[in-house]
Amino acid sequence: MTRRLEQRWARLRAWLRPPRSLKVTRVGRTYLVVTFGVGLGALNTGNNLLYLLLGMLLSMVVVSGVLSERCLRDLTVRRVGTDAAFAGEPFAFRWAVSRGRGHAFALTLSEADTPLSGEGGVGYLRAGAEHVVRANLTAPRRGPVALTGVRVTTTWPLGLFAKTRVLPLPGSLLVYPRRGYACRDPGEAVRGPVGDAGNPRRNDGTGDVTGLRELAEGEDARRVHWLKSASLGRLLRVEREREERRTWVLTVEPGLEGAPLEHRIEEVAALAHRLLEEGHDVGLEAGARGLRPAGGAAQERLILRALAWLGFEDPQGDEEAA
Amino acid sequence: MRRGTRLRLVLRDLASGCAFASMAVSGQLPVWTLVLYGVALLCALAGRRLFAKRARITALLLLGVAVLLGLNVLNGALNIVVAACAFAGLISGHRLLSAPDAATDGQVHLSGLLMVAGGAALSGEIIYGLFLVAFGVLASMALALGVVEAAVPEGEPVPVRSVMPPLATGVGFAVAGAVAFFILFPRLNWNMTGPRASPGFGEPTTGFSNTVRLGGAGTIKGNPRVVLRATLNPDPGVEALNAYWVGRTYDVFDGQEWTTAGGVRHAREAMLTLRPGGDSLVHQRIELLPAYGGRTLIALETPSRLGNAFLNSTTGSRRTFLQELSGGEVRVLEAGLGYSYEAYSLPPEKGSGDSFRGLPPIEQDALLTLPETVDPRVAQTAARVLNGEREPLAAAQKLAQWLQREYAYTLELGGDVEDPLADFLFSRKAGHCEHFATALTLMLRTQGIRARLATGFFGGERINDGYILRAGDAHAWTHVLVPGRGFVTVDATPPAHRPSQGSRFLERLLALYEAVESRWRNSVVDYSFRDQLDVARAFMRPTREPESSTTRGGLPPPRAWGVALVAGLGVYLVWRALERLSRRARPLEATRFLDAVEAQLAAARVPRREGETLEDLHARLAREGHRLSPVIAPVTQRYLEARFGGRPLRSGEAERLLRTLKHALEEARPSSAPRARAS
Repeated sequence: MTRRLEQRWARLRAWLRPPRSLKVTRVGRTYLVVTFGVGLGALNTGNNLLYLLLGMLLSMVVVSGVLSERCLRDLTVRRVGTDAAFAGEPFAFRWAVSRGRGHAFALTLSEADTPLSGEGGVGYLRAGAEHVVRANLTAPRRGPVALTGVRVTTTWPLGLFAKTRVLPLPGSLLVYPRRGYACRDPGEAVRGPVGDAGNPRRNDGTGDVTGLRELAEGEDARRVHWLKSASLGRLLRVEREREERRTWVLTVEPGLEGAPLEHRIEEVAALAHRLLEEGHDVGLEAGARGLRPAGGAAQERLILRALAWLGFEDPQGDEEAA
Repeated sequence: MRRGTRLRLVLRDLASGCAFASMAVSGQLPVWTLVLYGVALLCALAGRRLFAKRARITALLLLGVAVLLGLNVLNGALNIVVAACAFAGLISGHRLLSAPDAATDGQVHLSGLLMVAGGAALSGEIIYGLFLVAFGVLASMALALGVVEAAVPEGEPVPVRSVMPPLATGVGFAVAGAVAFFILFPRLNWNMTGPRASPGFGEPTTGFSNTVRLGGAGTIKGNPRVVLRATLNPDPGVEALNAYWVGRTYDVFDGQEWTTAGGVRHAREAMLTLRPGGDSLVHQRIELLPAYGGRTLIALETPSRLGNAFLNSTTGSRRTFLQELSGGEVRVLEAGLGYSYEAYSLPPEKGSGDSFRGLPPIEQDALLTLPETVDPRVAQTAARVLNGEREPLAAAQKLAQWLQREYAYTLELGGDVEDPLADFLFSRKAGHCEHFATALTLMLRTQGIRARLATGFFGGERINDGYILRAGDAHAWTHVLVPGRGFVTVDATPPAHRPSQGSRFLERLLALYEAVESRWRNSVVDYSFRDQLDVARAFMRPTREPESSTTRGGLPPPRAWGVALVAGLGVYLVWRALERLSRRARPLEATRFLDAVEAQLAAARVPRREGETLEDLHARLAREGHRLSPVIAPVTQRYLEARFGGRPLRSGEAERLLRTLKHALEEARPSSAPRARAS
């Protein structure tokens, strides 16, 4: 409920936001104070040279506004995204920015109205060329992050003002749980080492050769036994024993909320990572979300994804930037 | 250090240097601050940041400098504004020598801003304006490069060449905007207290003392510095005025030097009347510059009234009072860097109008006084030359012509001699204006003709609407008392040697500078609300030229130019808007194109299946080898590209494709029509 309110508030803020926002930098503040002082001096003394200087200072402010506006015009931004975003640690995020006509200088890109912190910059954007901007963003917590737009800021030309434009670009980013250390033991394995159990379906390890069989569609071609395949005229693959492979099903207990839920999710993520790294199969049981035990990086990604969505609405298709 | 970074630092340092120079041109900063800042700037430009590792400790030096400047202010040796400006310059110098980072850059630019503001308070010279613009340009470039550099990832070069063109355009607009603001912003203060004078560099070179001693070298004649500016009414309009500008007169000669009999006549007056004038007085608005170095007022020969004097100092101008001394000398009571005043003089062709009886008794006696040691050959020579001529003016002119003919002009003299007049007349037979004037005056006195020595300037070089005098125009001549006309000027110095004897090139250079400086002064330093009203009036209601002076080939009035400019700008903006509108990608253009294609196909009765899309139709016709297939292929391809491929139809492309399609469909129709009739 709170999250929904936050999202609505973010949408309202985005709707109410002026097309450009202006922030005075530290140098700019000093500049304005000096300009004010020169103006007072000119009015007080009637010294025409002070009027001339005041005119110069004010003109620079106007020119600064015009040049920065020209920089922010005709910009096109698309999200390249990230490989994986974990809560609480920086992750590489990329945008591709281009400009139809004219050059742009000193652009800083960040995500607007999101809890993501961090920004990326480009010093010079050539006309017509697409430039990929990389930033190290940090998300404070796991879960889906609704992206409404990209904030483009420039301090060009004099660094006195930071002018910002938000380019609407809806999207979402799924932030995986924080990577940490699992204090608790994963418990008893659901199934012991495959070598002892003799399960014929667990024969894709690195141990002794247990036999040959025909290569199925989609299987790794590196497993092909080329000599036998050539002699028989069809592709055969080698099957080897997996000696240390066990199976765990990790559980996120139902009824957890708030900090205990987050803690458990991070623990399960850490355990899953450790077990999968050791070559075991890991499954997940988390209320309505369940994953059958499997191994490999893809399974870890599925587990992280399921854990990231815990407590949130179901994903509406695969649209996140990650 | 990156290439762009090095350039940025050089630009930053140069901007700071320009800001400091804008103060330094006033000539008021202590010399030691000039030296310290100069050393700091040179080290910074050479890349040697001496204080980079000791910023905090070296900041104590600034504390010491502040104490020193404060003591100077307390002693009255230094103006507080000058001290503040000097301190800002030294802070900037310290920052230049510190390690360059964002904070240091900001401090350098801030101190630069303070320095140009201080320069505006200290100096009114055009050089200040040049340094101000240079500072604006250089600081803008440094700031812009800093902004881009901060956004460029580490290791990548700063795109200096790409930064410069848009920045140059921006700075150009900023300068234009500054000028527009300057012209249009209403001057709320009528009392202009801007800097009227700054001492500049170099010592004052002229001025008047209480005596004129013969025998010194005439080095001043080679000095081209401008000491006086004047505007005359009525304006003679000639390029070379060649007029006598008198400062004071001397009537007692003791054989070595000239002095004046008498003392103070009027102690403190706002307006002094020296002699009665008439309706044909020449009005002069005169400004004595710091290079003049004296308090004696100068006016065209022969002055009638002087007054309305202002004293110009580094802090502004204020009204001052005058004092009249013997010898017709008028002095300003207080000492300042320069003075502005008004004077009225009798027309040059008239005499002074003074009568002998009207002169003070002490001056009456002095006009015929000869030194006791005068060489008897002086009187003999005068009598021989005059040959019985007794009329004062004719006698004076005869002697002057003889002196000009027989004696040479020189500025190189041997030094002090016992009898400089005899040395000039009978030994060296060469001298400068004081020798010629003294010889004429004393030779007249030996013949019983009353005369006195006058000193001042000779010349007047036209610059814009006024005239200037140089230090080298300093001159001496003779006043002969003519009954009924008063004192009349007679000059014994050869005409070619009366004005300045300096380098022509240097004089032209200074004249050019003075012309520009004069325009700067009139249009910037002295710009006022009244000028703004004049500009507005000239724009709204241009002054109507007299009927006779209007010619058909003349330029249109400023209002017409302004209206034309605004109209041109409006047309340009409309044209830009229309161009953008025409370039704008029209929504659903591809769909409209498809509708038009399908309408043509339907009109040509090309067989279509139920729900068959254009691409399906094209594929079917291609399979069947239909004759329309090559025509429909490009249309289909362009539609798909425009609809889904992100390549919108160009202007006129849709019409061209549709025309081609229509032509092909019409060509295909006759072959089918006869078959229809046959069946």
